Amino acid sequence: MSEAERLFLEVRGLKKSFGSGDTRQDVLRGLDFSVSKGEFCVLLGPSGSGKSTLLNILGGIDSADAGEILINGDKLEDMNEKSLTRYRRKHLGYVFQSYNLIPNLNVKENIETGAYLSDQPLDIDELLKTLGLFEHRYKLPNQLSGGQQQRVSIGRAIVKNPDILLCDEPTGALDYTTSKEILQLIEEVNRKYSNTIIMVTHNEAIRLMADHVIKLRDGKIRHDDRITKKISAAELEW
Amino acid sequence: METGKRPKNPLHKRVWRDLLRDWKRYLMIFLMLVVTIGFVSGMFVANHSMMSSLNENATKFHREDGHFELSRIAEPEIISAIESGKKADMVSIFRSRAYDEAEDEIEKAVRDAIEEKVREQVKSGITETVTETVDQQIRISGEKLPDEMRQTMLDEALRTAMDENYEDAVQEALEQAWDSEEYKDALSEATDEAHKEIDEKIDEEYTEIAQRYELDQSFDPVPVNVYELFYKNADEHIAEKDPYKGKIRVYSERSEVDLYDLLSGRAPENEHEIIIDRMHADNAGIRIGDTVKAGSTEFEVVGLASFTDYITLYENNTDTMFDALTFDVGMVTDEGFERISTSLHANYAFTYKEKPADVSAEKTLSDHFLKALITQTAVSEKTLEIKDYVPAYANNAINFAADDLGSDMAMGGVLLYILTAVLAFIFAVSISSMLEKEASVIGTLRASGYTKGELLRYYMSAPLLVVILAAIVGNVLGYTVFKEVIVGMYYNSYSLPSYETLWTPEAFIRTTVVPFVLMLLINFIVIVRKLRLSPLRFLRHDLKKTHRKKAIRLPRWSFFRRFRLRVFLQNLPNYLMLFIGITFVMLLLSMAVGMPSTLSYYQERMPDMMFAKEQVILSDYLDEDGGIIKTKADSAEPFSISSLEYRTEKYNEEISVYGIVENSRYIDITVPEHDDEMWISTAFSAKYHLNTGDSFTLSEKYENKQYTWKVAGVYTYDAALAVFMPNDRFNEIFERDAEAFSGYLSDETITDIDEKSIVKRITADDMVKIAKQLDHSMGSYMLYFQYVCMIVAAIILYLLTKIIIEKNERPIAMVKILGYEDGEISRLYLITTAVVVIISEFAAMALGYLLMKIFWGIMMRTLGGYFAFIMKPEGFIREFVLVTAAYLVITVFDFIRIKHIPKVLALKNAE
Repeated sequence: MSEAERLFLEVRGLKKSFGSGDTRQDVLRGLDFSVSKGEFCVLLGPSGSGKSTLLNILGGIDSADAGEILINGDKLEDMNEKSLTRYRRKHLGYVFQSYNLIPNLNVKENIETGAYLSDQPLDIDELLKTLGLFEHRYKLPNQLSGGQQQRVSIGRAIVKNPDILLCDEPTGALDYTTSKEILQLIEEVNRKYSNTIIMVTHNEAIRLMADHVIKLRDGKIRHDDRITKKISAAELEW
Repeated sequence: METGKRPKNPLHKRVWRDLLRDWKRYLMIFLMLVVTIGFVSGMFVANHSMMSSLNENATKFHREDGHFELSRIAEPEIISAIESGKKADMVSIFRSRAYDEAEDEIEKAVRDAIEEKVREQVKSGITETVTETVDQQIRISGEKLPDEMRQTMLDEALRTAMDENYEDAVQEALEQAWDSEEYKDALSEATDEAHKEIDEKIDEEYTEIAQRYELDQSFDPVPVNVYELFYKNADEHIAEKDPYKGKIRVYSERSEVDLYDLLSGRAPENEHEIIIDRMHADNAGIRIGDTVKAGSTEFEVVGLASFTDYITLYENNTDTMFDALTFDVGMVTDEGFERISTSLHANYAFTYKEKPADVSAEKTLSDHFLKALITQTAVSEKTLEIKDYVPAYANNAINFAADDLGSDMAMGGVLLYILTAVLAFIFAVSISSMLEKEASVIGTLRASGYTKGELLRYYMSAPLLVVILAAIVGNVLGYTVFKEVIVGMYYNSYSLPSYETLWTPEAFIRTTVVPFVLMLLINFIVIVRKLRLSPLRFLRHDLKKTHRKKAIRLPRWSFFRRFRLRVFLQNLPNYLMLFIGITFVMLLLSMAVGMPSTLSYYQERMPDMMFAKEQVILSDYLDEDGGIIKTKADSAEPFSISSLEYRTEKYNEEISVYGIVENSRYIDITVPEHDDEMWISTAFSAKYHLNTGDSFTLSEKYENKQYTWKVAGVYTYDAALAVFMPNDRFNEIFERDAEAFSGYLSDETITDIDEKSIVKRITADDMVKIAKQLDHSMGSYMLYFQYVCMIVAAIILYLLTKIIIEKNERPIAMVKILGYEDGEISRLYLITTAVVVIISEFAAMALGYLLMKIFWGIMMRTLGGYFAFIMKPEGFIREFVLVTAAYLVITVFDFIRIKHIPKVLALKNAE
């Protein structure tokens, strides 16, 4: 498969600002980049660099002021709200820093909320095993550790086998060991299910496990590198 | 890669868990709905079932169309004549009767006259003949007799002649006279003259009667069935209760008309048994098996019944109020009836052979029948008087309860409107706060691709289930427990028959369908509006339209005060909700407290409100001899009264129309400049918003006659809806004699007018009786309702303070970590709420009162009469105490809630 064929996501001239007049703040000042199918792409940058805003726009839950986004040939900005919902339903999985699990549904049921959205979801029990949650499947979120909750949240996102998995600081609230476990899980998911993964993080070390690293600062891309020699998540140190 | 089956929507499972998780909130909504649906549908169902039972019973128990009492038992021919419903030809009957009576008299008079004349003629003939004979004898004797001697001879001869011939001569002459033409002419002439005299007299009398009873107006015969419904009035004694003394009206066995509903026991079977009114038995504590005395005759009570013509125990139809305490109605066997020694009342019930279509037709029938009755009794050979005539439509004993049930429905309607508004408010507040709590979940689900429709259906499910469940429970309770309570209240006031609980579609629609649809609609609108926000805003918990402005600078108060003020400012929208909620409760309480307050105000003020201490209404202003009925009471002043209708779409209001003498000491009105200007009472003005210069139209109740007048001024009189005009104008308008009047207003008791001429005597006691009775029948309702209000207040306060504390859980956890104790935290959060609650209570009391006044006006328009809404100061205190008590209970819950907030909450990830 050529690079052009693998091209999955394309962003051109993307701009976004908040406020108006004196309080206007340009968050994204014209971004151009592309992501290939099955790529593990990391968006790096300090706080306020616009990486979460970018992720939200890619996820169709925020809109850009200018520019265009092409996903698998479909223009995101042409989509109305209904189409956007369908787009998220069919193609996207979301993982948040604050796991946002449904408190009164158990692990399995939380994952089922994702599975319900797909006509051909992954086998839930197998996924639970992959996530290392099989024995915890009947527990409620408040009976789990932070890492376990984040695993559930990842499970919920990938059970519908999305084309793209968007992860917003998935390790932001976790300790070193747990963070590494989560990163390993994401790595495994990427390998096993070949989803395109776009992960926002401010942890520089994570870039080493990515196929593609985009560094943002002040709303602009400072670096857009494709990594040829990446290391496994287990080898990461920070 | 293995794929699995698409699972069922896991959110469905969550609906039940949501209900469990938030069970307190849902329980409160459930309770609120159950109370509303149960209480109001109980009212409607009881009312509707009872009304239907009353209506059906008219046919089922062969209720009379009216009754009349005669001065004695009438002969069968008279009853047949009355049943024909035809007017007797009074003039012809009276005339022929008078002619017959006069015939002998005339003949005798003529004969006497002729006999006198004959005797005169015979006597003078004999005298002449004897004088001639005596003089001839003297002449023949040739003696010159002195005059004295001649006279002696003459007298002697005359006596002898008279003795021997006079009677024979008279008889002979009379025999000739009777055959003579002269006699026949004289007789005929005398008869004609007498007839003329009789005709004149009868015409004069009939004209008067005809005028009084409008006998000459159009008339259609009203055939009726007449039934004997004799009764005897006696003092009632109860064997076991010495001091008790009441009155009992005992009827003989009823089998054809005005039957009864035996509520317990059995019908009397022998002369020693009686059944009595159930309501009176309850009030007087009489049970089956007890012995009651009617006068001196003892009876054993074997059954308690509701008599279809005594649903409300009015002793006389003209009584201002019924009396179930000391007036009883009973029925015994015919033999038992004989045993009672008091005098018999020849009372007859009648039913129309052709039933009238409506009240107006019934009134026409009744008027025509009355004419038939008057004329048929008048022409009775032996004196027969009508003592009483009461058509069913005007019979308070039959209609009062139904009218009262009607007014309760109006009140229940207002109650339901307010409760429904409260429900709508609770639904809106509750769904909004729920969505705020669920922001992260909604954001995540939306970001994952859940559609708005899916989320809408999901978030509608739990409230929907609660409402459905509450509707079922509420209706079950409404048709059972609550209905029983209301029916109990009705049975406490009236002698109602047994009833069958009826399915009441109106109750179901108004108490169940409307709140259900309302809940659906409110939830739908709130959820749809909220879901318009982007998933991102949900994820950021950014659901408010307006963004927080800069922090307000606070004065240099103590830390606690400033903290509390911050809590207040931060929760301003919730406190606004709290205020609205309290206003609703106060509105409800205004009704529950204000109604008894209004009635007790009227009870206390009624004596002052009356124009005069006594209003005596006469049957006619003229006595039997045609003289004006007068009184020596110094303060008495004649007045006229009539009643017309003020018609609106909702209600035909009865307006008293007064004719007042000039410079009246009781009603101080100036004579209006124009003929069409009238004064109206403040009650009339207030109820229908009529002011000076406005036009209004009054109609005759049963005739197609209307009067349009202008308001000349508003006269301060709150006791009734009334129109005042000068008496001569009154007489002119109602086409009465120039000097006519209806009765006397007087501050002293009038004692010198024959009671027979008095139709009604209205004193302050009578007016207070009405308010007392209303208080009795509605007051108990209202006390229940005050507690319902307290529960509603507690539910609203619970739901709203819960929201406020839940929103502040994190900061509360944080201050706990900082080392604040539960007491201090409660001071920070609860005192703010307490202050808001108390201030809201005061403001809401004023607002609730003003709103209630508006509702009251609307309610009054569907009822007869008018009471201005009056709230006494102690009423406000009561409102305040009830709501504060509810709040104190809720504060305990809040304190426990604050105590249970875990410190770790502050450390959990916050978006």
